[in-house]
Amino acid sequence: MALPNKVLPGFSASLYAQSGATPTALSTANLSVYASTSGIAVAGNLLPVEAIPAFGQDDAVANFNVAGSRQSDKIPTQAAPTSMTITAAWNPSDANLLQMRADAYNGTIDRTFVISATDGTNIVNYAFNGRVGQFTVDPNPTAESKATFTVHPRGNQYGWSNNA
Amino acid sequence: MKLSEAIELLTTTYQSLDAVASGLSVDAKEVNDALNKADKDSAEYVALQALAKFNPYENTKKEKVKKDDDYDQE
Repeated sequence: MALPNKVLPGFSASLYAQSGATPTALSTANLSVYASTSGIAVAGNLLPVEAIPAFGQDDAVANFNVAGSRQSDKIPTQAAPTSMTITAAWNPSDANLLQMRADAYNGTIDRTFVISATDGTNIVNYAFNGRVGQFTVDPNPTAESKATFTVHPRGNQYGWSNNA
Repeated sequence: MKLSEAIELLTTTYQSLDAVASGLSVDAKEVNDALNKADKDSAEYVALQALAKFNPYENTKKEKVKKDDDYDQE
């Protein structure tokens, strides 16, 4: 059975961010290399997120009117990668959350993020380069403080790899 | 273009590999040979796969042998 089919029905996923204030993001080819991405998916780079949001590609279409036809025609056009809005418990001592905040304030730091899915034995890594575009802290006293940040993946800069 | 230069370009680019590879003209046999030797978990292998997509290698000798086999069966 191909590894994604084995892992994906029941797995846990974690989000990791490349460390360092001014990292060199992995090149597109290296995003598909397990040896490269597994170096980022280490405990020290873990982001304490509550859930992994949807990732992939947004929808974009152009609508064409066809003379004489009852229906018009929809053609997919160039689409943006899906932005990932992530919620984490706010811990002002967490170095990785502080790094996300610094990235959001900067806005031009390209960083490699890795979503690592595992069934306990095998691992599938989805790696992408992105920039952080938003960072807010919700200090509502009736609940745990939450940090919310948005990662905007760069176009075409993603890759899949696994350890099988 | 030399294969080594194409691999260097593809392993360091941040653009779409397909978009870059489509503009690189390299020897298809060289790509095929390098692909067979490359470590599957390496950036070179990923780059060679992109090159192979746009520079497909066809082993004409094998096809000829297969045709002869078909004649023998008839």
